[in-house]
Amino acid sequence: MNDDYIVKLGNVRKTFGDFMVFDDVSFGIKRRETVSICGDSGSGKTTLVNVIGLLEQPTHGRIFWNGKSVINQKMSYVAKLRSEMFGYIFQRCNLILELNVIENLLFPRRIADKIDSGDVAFAKKLLNQVKLDGFEERNVSTLSGGERQRVAAIRAMMNNPRVIIADEPTGSLDEKSANLVMDMIINLCDTYDSSLLLITHNPRFAQKMQTAYVLSNCTLTRVE
Amino acid sequence: MKWYVYLALKQLFPTGKRISFFAAMSIVGVALGVVVLFVVQSVMEGFQYNIKKMIVDTQGDVRVDSKHMIFDVDKLEDFLRNFPGVAAVARYAYGMMMLKYDDRTGFPTIKGVDIENEAKVIDLRKFIKQGNLENFNCGGIVLNDEMARSVGATVGSSVEVFSPKIVEETSSGEIILQRTFDVSAIYETGYQNVAMIAIDTLQDLYGLGEGVHGFSLRLVPGVMPEKVAFELNKDLPKEIVAMSWQEMNKGLMFALQTEKAMMSLVLMFVLLIAAFSIAGSLLASVIRKTREIGLFSALGGTVWQCAMCFVLQGAIIGIIGSFIGIIVGMVTLKFRNIIMVGFLRLCGVEDFMMKFYSFANMPSRYGKGDVLTLVAFAVFLCCLAGVLPALKVAKINPAEALRNE
Ligand SMILES: Nc1ncnc2c1ncn2[C@@H]1O[C@H](COP(=O)(O)OP(=O)(O)O)[C@@H](O)[C@H]1O
Ligand SMILES: [Mg+2]
Repeated sequence: MNDDYIVKLGNVRKTFGDFMVFDDVSFGIKRRETVSICGDSGSGKTTLVNVIGLLEQPTHGRIFWNGKSVINQKMSYVAKLRSEMFGYIFQRCNLILELNVIENLLFPRRIADKIDSGDVAFAKKLLNQVKLDGFEERNVSTLSGGERQRVAAIRAMMNNPRVIIADEPTGSLDEKSANLVMDMIINLCDTYDSSLLLITHNPRFAQKMQTAYVLSNCTLTRVE
Repeated sequence: MKWYVYLALKQLFPTGKRISFFAAMSIVGVALGVVVLFVVQSVMEGFQYNIKKMIVDTQGDVRVDSKHMIFDVDKLEDFLRNFPGVAAVARYAYGMMMLKYDDRTGFPTIKGVDIENEAKVIDLRKFIKQGNLENFNCGGIVLNDEMARSVGATVGSSVEVFSPKIVEETSSGEIILQRTFDVSAIYETGYQNVAMIAIDTLQDLYGLGEGVHGFSLRLVPGVMPEKVAFELNKDLPKEIVAMSWQEMNKGLMFALQTEKAMMSLVLMFVLLIAAFSIAGSLLASVIRKTREIGLFSALGGTVWQCAMCFVLQGAIIGIIGSFIGIIVGMVTLKFRNIIMVGFLRLCGVEDFMMKFYSFANMPSRYGKGDVLTLVAFAVFLCCLAGVLPALKVAKINPAEALRNE
């Protein structure tokens, strides 16, 4: 049954000391599924996505990636698997300032130790898809907020991840660029067969997802 | 290339900027430290080498000596000459005497030498500034330049020599044994106040009979003096002792060695300071880049790889810095005399320093080993400077790092 799910959580609890962030969270993401999680600020959304990607250890519960339990695995193994499984887009500061646009795009390939000659062409194709042709050599500090998020979005695609995890990717953008970036992310996931886990405050964006959850009072509830 | 190597290089040499300010300053710091250490060590080594060479050139490699007079001279000399590793043997005897020229007197140690053999042990020609040894065996004397100057004698002057025996015989009313010698050559070794005459004459003057004080030995090149001295002592009678030049000059060797070591120790602090400032800057960059470390984890890196990135930055700075330092040091050493003269002229003490310290001829000497040791040391310190921030990185929790704005 686990095999249907790319990512699956069973009865996951996370506490910081005595402070309970969430408890008994069980949910999964299927192939090509788009999922949204809403919730107030401080409700634990970021903590939840960190736990899903094992950037944070859960206090209790089971986590499966591709049907395999990843709790109590070696960190180096988990890290390698993470680069194949997930593509992250954060709210801000996604890019490495010492590198230009194309180098930022190739960086996940380097971390995965898989960089090869085809990657530059793929990166250029992705740049074209987010309408950033000719931005290859640009210094990232010269990009606008929207452009940075678009670069971040295609960088998340570079390793052909199973799931794109976008934690408020449009949180610091104006409405117009937010819409543009959001559409591009959805498009990319569709084109490259990735599932999408979107953390957002924006109900309109949440509605675009096939499945919606709300995180509040330490529990994750599915919204029909 | 591993991603953390790539990132370490990029953080030091960012795209579009060639070199970061931090990298430039750190590399210059390390290079300066290496230059100072390298130049000073090479000059010290040069001085040491000159002193050692002077000692070996004037004393021979090994000396065979006794508390008492040695009378079985020919047999012992044959034995020494045939000993493995020995190239030449020269007997000697010596005594303090008074030297008189015109109204002026001096008190050199006079060494009686067998000049043919002595020339095989010591390259006399190298030290002779005036005159030659042609008439040495017919009443000649070789003076050290300082002694010659102080009594005013030159090549060809007739000098008088008085030994204790002459004085004794004079006071007991016997015939006055006054010996006159012609100065056949003047030599210069810089530190010895020794005059030389033929050994049989000295034996007469001192009443030594056939006795000698010892032998100087020249060894086959490449043979260790300490080893030959050790082997000789196994075979020689108890009261006769062989000593290598190193052992004879133990005090001086120790002083030279200590001087060099202390100097290096003091100058190492220059590198230590450079390393500390690297560690400080890297620590600051860890704090500045905490969020990025979270990002690298999210992209599939481990914190240990992130930590490695900082150790590597230290190492790269160390390697480039010491490489530049060695190159600059070599150039400095090559032009050391010009630099020195220029510097002294700038200070207005050129003439003074030249006259008294002959600074215009600063020696310098270094080997591959010296360079490698220094580079290894500098790189090691810089790696340590990288380890400190790396340990801080290793403690970072990726999720917390990602919350860092
Ligand atoms: N390392 C931590 N130690 C203690 N409390 C934490 C830690 N990280 C997050 N929290 C707390 O967990 C709660 C959830 O935070 P977060 O997941 O960032 O919420 P959201 O992303 O929904 O705004 C917050 O109250 C926050 O203060
Ligand atoms: Mg959040």
